[in-house]
Amino acid sequence: MPPIQVDWPEVHRVAAAFRLAMPRTPVGGRLGERLGSGTGSSLEFQDYRQYAMGDDLRHVDWSAYARSEVLTVRLYREEVSPRIDLVLDVSRSMTVTEKKGRAYGELCGLLACACASAEADSRIVTATVDQAQPLERPEQIERFLSCDAEFSALEESHIPFRRRSLRVVVSDFLFPHDADVLVRRLARDGASLALIQLTLPEEADPSVEGGRRMLDVEGHGEFDLVIDDKAVRDYRERFGRLRLGLVRAARRAGASFSHVLAGTPLRHTAKALAAAGVLESA
Amino acid sequence: MIFTSPLGLLALLAIPAIVAIHLFRRRFPPRPVAGLFLWQAVQQTPQGGGRISKLPVTASLILECLAALALALILSGARLNPASVNEHLIFLLDDSASMAAVNSGNQSPRDRAAQRVADEVERFGRGVRVTLIQSGERPAVLAGPAALAVEIVPALEKWKPESQHHSLALGMRLARELAGKTGRIMVFSDAPPELEMEGVQWVSVGEPLGNVGIIGAQRSLSPNEGKGSISLTFGNSSTESTKRRLHLVAEGKEILTQEVNVPPKVSSLQLPLPAGLPAVTVGLSNDTLQRDNEVTLVEPRPQIVSVENRLPNGRGHDALDRALRALAGVTRSDHAQLVFGPANVLDQPAEPGVWRAGFGRAPARMLATGESQDLVGPFVPEKRHPLLQGITLAGVVWAGALPVNLSAVHPVLSSGNQPLIGLVGSRPDDGILFNVDLDKTNLLRAPDWPILVSNVVELRRQDLPGPERWNYRAGEWIRVRLGRDPKGPLHFKCGSVERDLPSARLMEFTAPAPCGLLQITEGKDVLFQLGVNFLDETESNLSDRARGEFGKPNPQAGGMRAESGPETDPLFWTLLAIAGAAVLANWCWALRVTGSRA
Repeated sequence: MPPIQVDWPEVHRVAAAFRLAMPRTPVGGRLGERLGSGTGSSLEFQDYRQYAMGDDLRHVDWSAYARSEVLTVRLYREEVSPRIDLVLDVSRSMTVTEKKGRAYGELCGLLACACASAEADSRIVTATVDQAQPLERPEQIERFLSCDAEFSALEESHIPFRRRSLRVVVSDFLFPHDADVLVRRLARDGASLALIQLTLPEEADPSVEGGRRMLDVEGHGEFDLVIDDKAVRDYRERFGRLRLGLVRAARRAGASFSHVLAGTPLRHTAKALAAAGVLESA
Repeated sequence: MIFTSPLGLLALLAIPAIVAIHLFRRRFPPRPVAGLFLWQAVQQTPQGGGRISKLPVTASLILECLAALALALILSGARLNPASVNEHLIFLLDDSASMAAVNSGNQSPRDRAAQRVADEVERFGRGVRVTLIQSGERPAVLAGPAALAVEIVPALEKWKPESQHHSLALGMRLARELAGKTGRIMVFSDAPPELEMEGVQWVSVGEPLGNVGIIGAQRSLSPNEGKGSISLTFGNSSTESTKRRLHLVAEGKEILTQEVNVPPKVSSLQLPLPAGLPAVTVGLSNDTLQRDNEVTLVEPRPQIVSVENRLPNGRGHDALDRALRALAGVTRSDHAQLVFGPANVLDQPAEPGVWRAGFGRAPARMLATGESQDLVGPFVPEKRHPLLQGITLAGVVWAGALPVNLSAVHPVLSSGNQPLIGLVGSRPDDGILFNVDLDKTNLLRAPDWPILVSNVVELRRQDLPGPERWNYRAGEWIRVRLGRDPKGPLHFKCGSVERDLPSARLMEFTAPAPCGLLQITEGKDVLFQLGVNFLDETESNLSDRARGEFGKPNPQAGGMRAESGPETDPLFWTLLAIAGAAVLANWCWALRVTGSRA
């Protein structure tokens, strides 16, 4: 497959209206513009506590001292810059057809723009690099979209996530897995987790085609198959179970799950992701 | 379209085979999928189809069938053009030795014939088919039948006429058989045709020439005198006496050289020769025809027949003695190889190697009832029997002939039902019965008597071990009696000719040409040496040779259908290109499919 070319004008046009949704719970991160989980120097009041040596006198609540003659200081929430780990599946299955590859590029571009809008410390995680790579500009995401790996990053035993990071996972999830185990591993020590499944329409809902030589694009086997009604019925049932497993596992882990069909207009995809809580209006 | 090898169409069976392979070995179009494991649990289709389904018409199937079809058509010899019709020329070449006679310009009838053949072939063009026949007692095909023009050149170069005089009839018969109704026959000889032959063009390429050759040669030996001699007969076809130098060579040494003056026509010369010399080669100095200038003569070893006269004293005894004394090569002995005696002992077993000739009353078991008769004829001889060679019995009264049982003897001479001379067994060595009373018959005074005795002796002599003669003309039958069972493989060698002989007591074969010293060997041992010589008066006489053309070729000869090579037909190349392209395309297609799967 040729390298994925992202239609950036279209992506920027759609992404201008969205940004990555932040979780309601405080997140961890460096000093920034988002409320953190600890105390800090923001304007949002959090709690009182008794004055201790070394506290900033500017935070002493003098009104309370006048009423109770006890030195009390006001505690404010800290403001942080959130961490975002964008996990990309760069296995060959993501570009099984040109249509799927193009949709994958647009989706990744949209997410990259959304990360940039969130003014977060965004990093890209793939199976082809050992460490997460920083994403400073949305266009940089193109260099990660070679999609020539035989395995998905999600199948790796160790994924270089950061603690308390927002995790966005984009994959077709078309590899053998235990959904509960997978989602739990992805959500561990994270602030939030969003699973986005990208498939072709015919991958989600195949039709009768007759005899075909089925070739795994990642080189994991091939065999002859007559794709008849029964085969299609069986496939749909198995694909439905796979997706349902992911939905349930995501729900148990407090993660969001979205299914995107390749070929869907990007604007519609963005709206669907916003509806799923992955994006929010800018 | 025609097929030169229709059996090649069997290769078309490859097409249903290919279809069957494609039918039972499905090749579905590839479909790359991301989640193969989701399909894998679904019922899988086996690699080899267990049941017949709709044939997948793929590019591979079409290309393979196309290649098989093209190759099958090539194998079956498919042609667009039917076989071409080419002229078929049949040249009968006179192989007699006179064709090699050279004139003053060093050109022979053979050279002229070869040149004319080449000219005729060139005249009819490249596609002409040629058959070259060499005449002889056994005509041979030198090139062909229906050979290409280029094939006759080496055959013509090898052709060296050296045969004895022979009729061209056998060669003509072979030429007509090979020509059929399509070929043109041309005969090349140095003599004019004896008869006008229909549909045959006779080309005489000879010319009258003067020639001196040895047309007869004999070597004799007088054992009593211890001398030998050579008698030579010369033929001179020129009108003037000619001088030639004569050489006698034995064992590589020249033993005699002398100038001889050979008068026109036939003359003879006798030369004394010491006894005991090995084979002598007599040569004349070179002239027009080389073939008749040399003879090889072997000293004959006389075969002496020992004879015993056991006839009772009387007319018969004396007459036999007189007849035997007149014969050469006969000796008297008490342990003779041939015994003349009374006939009544013929029923007794003879000693080994002893022939018996019995005269008078036959043994009782051979006699039939009846009285003896005196017969004056008519006599019925077995004409070709050697015992009766030269016998006429004119005026002979065959007296005292007793009735003989016909089952007891094999009659050689008879009168009515009465055998007069008969063989006791199937062969003379079992005994020869002369049913005659020598005391009464006038046979003893007739000229037939010494001839009859001589025939008996010569018959015995022929049965002695060794060759019948020691010097032969080429083509004559050679008979050599071994007198015992061979101890090893027998064969003969004469110049470049070497042949195996049947392992038997009697060897019979024709004297081969070219001539010279012939050696008969048993294993590595030389048993006999014989002289084989050309000695052909007709071929040596070159005065009647002629030049000219007689008759015309068969005007109905329409040429023969000749199959040309496949390279001349455009269909062959087309089919080859189709097959090659199909194979190549199929290979590329397979590579592409394999590559896309990888």
